Amino acid sequence: MTDLQANTELLTKLNGLAAGLFLLTAFGMIAMRQVLACLKLFVWQSILLAASATILGFQHSSVHLFVVAVITVGTKSILIPWLLVRLVSQEAYARREISQVLNIPTSLLLGMALVILAYFASSPLLGASQDPFVRMNLPVGTAGVLLGAYAVVVRREAVPQVIGLLAMENGSFLAGICIAPDLPIIAELAAAFDVLIIALVMGLLTRRIRERTGMTVVGKLASLKED
Amino acid sequence: MTEKILFNVVQVLVVMLVSPLVKGVLNRLKEAVQSKRGPSIFQPYRDIWKLFHKDEVISDSATWIFRLAPYVVFITPVFVALLIPVLTGYPLFFAFMGDMLGGGFILALGGFFATLAAVDAANPYGAMGASRTRMVGFLAEPVFMIVFFTVSFVAGSTIPYIVHKHWVNPPDNFFEPSHVLLMLAFLMLIIAETGRLPVDNPSGHFELAMIDESKGLEYSGRGAALMKWGGSMKFLVLVCIYLNVVVTPWGLAQGESLGELLLAIPLVFLKVFVFVVVLVVIESSLAKLRLFRITEFLGGAFITSVAAMITRLLEG
Amino acid sequence: MELLVVLLVPALSAILCVLPIGGGLAALSTVVGCLAVFLISIHVALTTITRGHVIAFLGWISCDSFGALILLLVAFVGLTTSIFSLGYIRRVVPQEREGKKRRYYARFNLFLLSMLAVPAFSHLALVWIAVELTTLLSVFLVSFEDTPEALEAAWKYVVLTCMGAALALVGILILYWGMKIAGRGDFTWSGLIVASPGIPGPFLQTAFLFILVGFGTKVGLVPVHTWLPDAHSQAPSPVCALLSGIETTTVLYTIIRLLPALQGLSHGPGSWLMAAGLASAGTAAFLLLQVKDYKRLFAFSTVEHMGIIMFAAGIGGTSAYYGANLQMVAHSVTKAFCFLAAGSILLVVGHREIASVKGLIRVSRPAALALLTGSLAIAGAPPFAVFLGEFSILKAGIQSGQEIPTVALAAFIVIGFCGVMYHVNRMVFGSPDEEEARVRLPGSVLVALGISAIPVFLLGGYVPGILEEMLRLAAASLGR
Repeated sequence: MTDLQANTELLTKLNGLAAGLFLLTAFGMIAMRQVLACLKLFVWQSILLAASATILGFQHSSVHLFVVAVITVGTKSILIPWLLVRLVSQEAYARREISQVLNIPTSLLLGMALVILAYFASSPLLGASQDPFVRMNLPVGTAGVLLGAYAVVVRREAVPQVIGLLAMENGSFLAGICIAPDLPIIAELAAAFDVLIIALVMGLLTRRIRERTGMTVVGKLASLKED
Repeated sequence: MTEKILFNVVQVLVVMLVSPLVKGVLNRLKEAVQSKRGPSIFQPYRDIWKLFHKDEVISDSATWIFRLAPYVVFITPVFVALLIPVLTGYPLFFAFMGDMLGGGFILALGGFFATLAAVDAANPYGAMGASRTRMVGFLAEPVFMIVFFTVSFVAGSTIPYIVHKHWVNPPDNFFEPSHVLLMLAFLMLIIAETGRLPVDNPSGHFELAMIDESKGLEYSGRGAALMKWGGSMKFLVLVCIYLNVVVTPWGLAQGESLGELLLAIPLVFLKVFVFVVVLVVIESSLAKLRLFRITEFLGGAFITSVAAMITRLLEG
Repeated sequence: MELLVVLLVPALSAILCVLPIGGGLAALSTVVGCLAVFLISIHVALTTITRGHVIAFLGWISCDSFGALILLLVAFVGLTTSIFSLGYIRRVVPQEREGKKRRYYARFNLFLLSMLAVPAFSHLALVWIAVELTTLLSVFLVSFEDTPEALEAAWKYVVLTCMGAALALVGILILYWGMKIAGRGDFTWSGLIVASPGIPGPFLQTAFLFILVGFGTKVGLVPVHTWLPDAHSQAPSPVCALLSGIETTTVLYTIIRLLPALQGLSHGPGSWLMAAGLASAGTAAFLLLQVKDYKRLFAFSTVEHMGIIMFAAGIGGTSAYYGANLQMVAHSVTKAFCFLAAGSILLVVGHREIASVKGLIRVSRPAALALLTGSLAIAGAPPFAVFLGEFSILKAGIQSGQEIPTVALAAFIVIGFCGVMYHVNRMVFGSPDEEEARVRLPGSVLVALGISAIPVFLLGGYVPGILEEMLRLAAASLGR
């Protein structure tokens, strides 16, 4: 075995580890009851995303991916949490017991079903590539997107819903860094900027909702419907 | 041949003799973290010694199950200690009597008898504790199964001696995602199965909140000693399975000489000590979960082990 | 170059709007900017007819005649709504809250900018970002009135559409991967069509489904339409006109533009689109019958029309594409007109409840006439543009042998017609409960209603040569 092969093997394993932990954090965002814990998990997830980008950067010797990793850490694990904590009052973070639509064990089982769905959704695409990184990141990324969407649906608090949305973006980026590693940097920058705007807009909106209605449990806002 | 039988006996003796010490170290460390002095690390030996010299009182309504249970609880970890790698990295005489599943079943048998005995004595707290232990057990069972399946899927076997070689051969297998996730899932299982925080508080004295401890409330004298000793052996056996099979075979004797075997004893004890420190950190930083939150804890373990399985599938 | 100017003008007016000078500057710069954008987009449209396309940055910002058609629509509706805003905002926002007015116009311009960017961009990653920005820049327009209901609507709007955008992002990335495997070309609309034979089928299929569900959320496809009636009814009326009239259309445009790249598939996207379209049109038609709020009435009608257009795009074939494009144009101008009419009613009566509006014709003649013509037009009565579009779609459906779904669609259209007219009839005619004084509408509102009524009437009888040519080119570009 040459050095290069051995290197690739180790990088594959490390990337797999990052992806596996990424999946766990995605589940964690469904299971965590405390808003602050959710936010912390999001920070970890972003760091794992950046780690995966760095590993892929080593593999493809691409400076571009290192830049992506730096942007990810900068926006998603520093700027966005700071923004969300600044914009939404501390009281929302200290709260426990987010009243979810479904209880947590049910959620976890449904989450598993979503992961299997993600696997089947991405398996027809995997035939086209022997790249072990793609085989790992694409299904895990898709699962991250679906689990994020699930978190948005079952959560009733504003901040966890925002985090669920951002986790969806994380998922698509985890898939993106390996299936489209040479996407123009301007698109990456714009996407990072976009995520920042999401956090800003939704943070401001949450603050406004709290000012007007005195709560951040957006799931309880249900005056608009057909009757 | 005779050597291997001898080694096997040494292994069992080490488990029997060292297990109270491990408990003692754990208790002492926990007190130390809370800035107390704590009991001597040899306190569990003294407890067992004292209990052996006391009279045994058995309820009139208790049946033979109540009398038999302490022996079953004591003997099952001894059996498992024959099967698993405690000191040696290569299989010993009895190693192929059963695989990891077999070991799991034998340990479960001990738990089963302890539960029956708790109900048998007709102490209300006993039945309550028994039902709670069963609840935790029921929830832990599928996770155990998934963990074993994943292990056999990754390593191609459920024989512990083949499994643990897989993690270090080649060395970067250690970082295999499924391995790391399995370590995490199994750690959560051990915490649930041995009744540690955050699932159960082993140092609690409030019967209503007890899960594991309340099963032994009715025992006295010799029965209590055997239950205590069996419990600490079960703990050590599970820790050995975790450290030597699931984590890494580092520190185990590889050569077939007595010297290497004796050298392995302090090395394995060192590993166990590191694990105990980690456990103390976990126990000191978490609060006990409410009873119905245990589902969520074990659900987390389940998800972790399934994630391990999935990443393994994806690696292809 | 023209395209850059189109994008720069609203950006510039947005900057002018936030400058704290003078009372009328924000409103004035918005209207002038919109007029300039409209004139330039006419120029762009004419150029695309003669030269085929307009390019600002090759591979990044360029637009062909289909893009120019959407650009023109956005610019036109932008112009009328900006004029309408003059009078509407002056009535709604108290005189002393100068800052709130300035913020409104600044956000209006930014929102317009993002919608102009969707057809003007040709790189798919940029298009995705532009679509995402249309949501993010309009959230605070939806919540502008600051009532708990408006905030709730804004929250649902941003959460659901951002979820959709994240799903669509996966689709876009898969398309990019497929392009890389096919091994050539820019990641643009035209590059995608060139490369599509080389992209493996599962890639196109999966990417299409992700994008359909993702952007379909923003269009208001049925299982994920729930945000639409809320957001499109709670926003200030000129913003509703933008949201319902053109925001949905621009996003639908991005879905339809994928079609030529998908024609090699064995299980084409047609059946998906038809199913989604029928489901949307059917559900919305029945929901139309039981609304209690006249702005929600028009919002559900938007869901119905998006379904009809999607159905047309699913039938396939040049005549169906032509019908889809015509319906897109007709729906945009008509729906914008309807919401402007609804806005003027809101100015007259002060609430949105259908049940307590009676005999509008006695209270304000222009508002009542606008509402009547607008709802006749949107429901698909003969002399109006929507009728023409629906007719050509149904014809194309029958011709292509899809009788049963086409008949079902026709039935839904009829039910929708009844639903709209039933409610509007009660609002316009009859006698008011108590004798109300006549209310005069601001001049600019009347002007805006007048301008936006022109195409509603005009396109029903006669499609101008230039527009006809653009529709034809756009339909041809979809047919590969």
